[in-house]
Amino acid sequence: MGRQRSILAFIFVLAIAAIVVLTQVPMRLGLDLQGGSQITLQVKTTEAVPQITPEKLDGVKRVVENRINGLGVSEAVVQTVGENQLLVQLPGVSDPAQAERVLGGTAQLDFREQRKGTEAQLAVEYQVLQGLRQEQATLAQGTDQAAIEKNKEAIDRSNQAIAGLFDKTNFTGDSLRNAYPQPLNQAGNSWEVVLVFNDQGAEQFAQLTKNVAGTGRSLGIFLDEKLLSAPVVDARYAETGITGGQASISGNFDTQSASDLAVQLRGGALPVPVEVVENRTVGATLGQDSIQSSIYAGVAGLMLVLIFMVIYYRLPGLIADIALVLYALFTLAIFNLLGVTLTLPGIAGFILSIGMAVDANVLIFERTREELKAGKTLYRSVESGFYRAFSSILDSNVTTLIACAALFWLGAGLVRGFALTLALGVAVSMFTALTCSRTLLMMALSIPSLRKPNWYCPGLSASRPLQAEKTS
Amino acid sequence: MTLKVIQQRSIWWAISGAVILAGLIAMLISWQQLGAPLRPSLDFVGGTRLQLELDCSQPNSCAEPIDPAKVRQVLEAQNLANSSVQIVGQDQHTVSLRTSFLSPDQRAQLQDALSKEFGAFDPAKTQIDTVGPTIGRQLFTSGLLALVISFVGIMVYVGFRFQPDFAVFAVVALFHDVLITVGVFAILGLLFGVEVDSLFIVALLTIVGFSVNDTVVIYDRIRETTQIDGDRSINEIVDDAVNQTLARSINTTLTALLPLTAIFFLGGDTLKYFALALIIGFLAGAYSSIFIASTLLAWWRVRSEKTLPATPIEG
Repeated sequence: MGRQRSILAFIFVLAIAAIVVLTQVPMRLGLDLQGGSQITLQVKTTEAVPQITPEKLDGVKRVVENRINGLGVSEAVVQTVGENQLLVQLPGVSDPAQAERVLGGTAQLDFREQRKGTEAQLAVEYQVLQGLRQEQATLAQGTDQAAIEKNKEAIDRSNQAIAGLFDKTNFTGDSLRNAYPQPLNQAGNSWEVVLVFNDQGAEQFAQLTKNVAGTGRSLGIFLDEKLLSAPVVDARYAETGITGGQASISGNFDTQSASDLAVQLRGGALPVPVEVVENRTVGATLGQDSIQSSIYAGVAGLMLVLIFMVIYYRLPGLIADIALVLYALFTLAIFNLLGVTLTLPGIAGFILSIGMAVDANVLIFERTREELKAGKTLYRSVESGFYRAFSSILDSNVTTLIACAALFWLGAGLVRGFALTLALGVAVSMFTALTCSRTLLMMALSIPSLRKPNWYCPGLSASRPLQAEKTS
Repeated sequence: MTLKVIQQRSIWWAISGAVILAGLIAMLISWQQLGAPLRPSLDFVGGTRLQLELDCSQPNSCAEPIDPAKVRQVLEAQNLANSSVQIVGQDQHTVSLRTSFLSPDQRAQLQDALSKEFGAFDPAKTQIDTVGPTIGRQLFTSGLLALVISFVGIMVYVGFRFQPDFAVFAVVALFHDVLITVGVFAILGLLFGVEVDSLFIVALLTIVGFSVNDTVVIYDRIRETTQIDGDRSINEIVDDAVNQTLARSINTTLTALLPLTAIFFLGGDTLKYFALALIIGFLAGAYSSIFIASTLLAWWRVRSEKTLPATPIEG
C-alpha cells in the first residue's frame, strides 16, 4: 500500500505541475489559428548557378531574414526546407501581398561611392546606428512592443540618412562572384573578407576604388538599401584603383563577423531568383473562429467519452475518466513545455488521441471482466487484467507510433504537427493508463465499501455470490 | 451475442468485396471525368483559393449580397473565366474563388478589381491558399511515400512480434480499410464534389495506425490461446478470439468515433471531411479486423496445413 501511496503522491505532484505549466507557459498557436501568412519560397537555379548548395540557400535565407526585419513583423520564422526551399511564417501580417512582393524580389547588393565632404557626418551617423542596434538587442529581450517599434523606426531613419551620404553607381552584386572569410594571421584571431569579381566587376571595382582611394571617403557596400560595410581604400591605389578582380576588406573582424559579412555578401550577390510557390494566409478573425470551434469540439468529444466510460464500465470507468482528465492535462502541459505549435490538424490529433487514450483502459477492463466471469476474485481479476492486457496495449501503440513516424519524417508543415501531437498523446496515454488507472484502481480495491464486483462488472452478482477477498 | 465469423466468412468477404468494388468503379468514373481517381484539391494540383468577406464596418459596403454573375464578369475581365465561384455565409457577403495558380501580382490585381466592384474586403477575414503545381506534386508524393513506409514498418513489426503470415493479413486488412475510405471519397467526390487535400493522406495514415490496433489485439488473443491450448483447431481459436475481444473492439471504436463526431459537427470546415474520412476508416478498420484479417488468417492456416501435411506442429 505504501508504494501505491507514493505513486499517487507523485501523480498528484505531476498534475499540480501540469496546471502550473498550463497557466504560466503560453500555448503556441499555429498561423491557421492566430492568423497570418505562411509563404514558401522556391530558390531557382540559373545558367550561372546550376546547383543550389547549402551555402547559397543560407545566403538567400539571410537576405530574406533581413527583409522581414524591414517589414517589421515580430516573431517571424524562416526555415530552410529540403534543398531549395524556404518556409517563411509571418504571424499576424496584415498585407500578405506586400510581404510576398518584398520577399519574392531578387536581393540587391550594390556598391556606392561616398559623397564628397560627408566624411565626418558618416562617422556620426554610423555611431548613431550602432547605438540604435545595441538598443534593439536589449529591447528584444523584453516585451515592450511600443519601444521596439520606435527603435525600428529610428533604425530605418538612420539607415536612410546613411544611404543619403552615398551616390549610387550601376555597380551591383551581380558582378560579385564570391566572398569568403580568410584569416589574416597565423593565430587566426584576425580575419579579412575576400571579394572576387567577374571581368566586368573587376573593371568597375578598379574605377570605384580609384575614385575614393586616399580621399578618406569610403566605398559603400549596400544590401537592400542598407549599409553593410564602408571600407576605406588606401592611398596607394589612387593611380589605378584595385585591379585584378580581387580585393579584401580588413577591419576588426573575428571569425564570426567575417563569415557573417561573407554570407551576406554572397547572399546579396546571388543572382538566383526566388519565387513564391505557396502562400497560405488566414485572417486573424477566421483563426479565432477556428479556435472557438475546435474548443467546442474538443470539450464535447471529451465529455461524450467520459460519459460513455462511466455508463459502460461503472467504477473502473470513473477511474478511467480521472486518468483521462489527467491525460489531457499532462499532454497539453507537454505541448506547452516543448513549444509544440498547435495547428488545426494538431488539435484534431489531440482530440482523436483522447478517444484512443481510452483504448488501453478498455482493454484492461474487458480483461478484468473476463477474469471476474471466470470466477476469480476481484483483486486477482484487476491484477491480471492489467498484466494480460499489457502486450496488446504495447503492440497496438507501437503500430500507431510507426504511422506517426512515417508522417513526421515525410510530411511537411501542418502534417508534422498532427503526427507529433498524436505521437505524444499515445506515449502519455500509455503512462496514464498503466500508472494512474492502475494505482487508483488498487486504491479503490483497498477500500472495503468499494469492493463490490457488481460495480466492476454489472450483472455479475446475480449469477454468483459475493466472494470474499480472503484468497488474495 | 456470439459471432461465427469462420462459418459466415463468405458473407463478410462478399460485403467487403462489394463495397470495395463500388469504390473502384467510382474511381474509374472519376478518372474518366476528372483525370484522377479522387477529386483533388489545390493541395495536389496547385492553384489559388481566395476567400474574401466584405468589410461591413465601411459605409454602404454591405448593402446587398454579392452577385455571383458580377464576380464572373470580373474574373472574365482578368482572363480567369474557368474559375469556380461560390458565395457563402448567411448574408452572402463572402465570396470563395478557386482559380488557376496566381502570382502575387496577379492575385493583387484580382483583389483590387473585386474591391472596385463590391467595396472593401476585411483583411482579418481573408483567407488565401496558393499552391504552386510543383509543391502540389511534392505533397502528393511525400504523402504516398509516408503511406507505403508505414505499411512496411507495420508489416515488419507485426511479422517480428507474431509470425510472417499474421503480418501479411494485417496488411491485407489495412489495404481493405484504405480502399474503402478512398472508395467512399471517390463516390462523395462524384456526387457532392468533395475534394481530398493533404489532410486526407494524414487521415489515411491515422486509419492505418488505428485499425491495425484492432487487428493486433485479436491476433494477440489468437497467439495467447494457441500457446495455452494448441490442440484446438485454428477455426475455433479464431472464432473464440474474435468473440472475446468483440466488446473491446466495439467500445474502442466507439470512444474514438465520439470525439470524431464532435469534430465533424462542431469543428469547422477544414476539419469536417478529415473527421469524416477517419469515421469511415475506423468503421472499416473495426470491421476488417473482426471479419477479414482473422478469417483470412484461419483460412490460410487451414489451407497450408492441408497442403503441407508433413510439417510437424511445434509447441
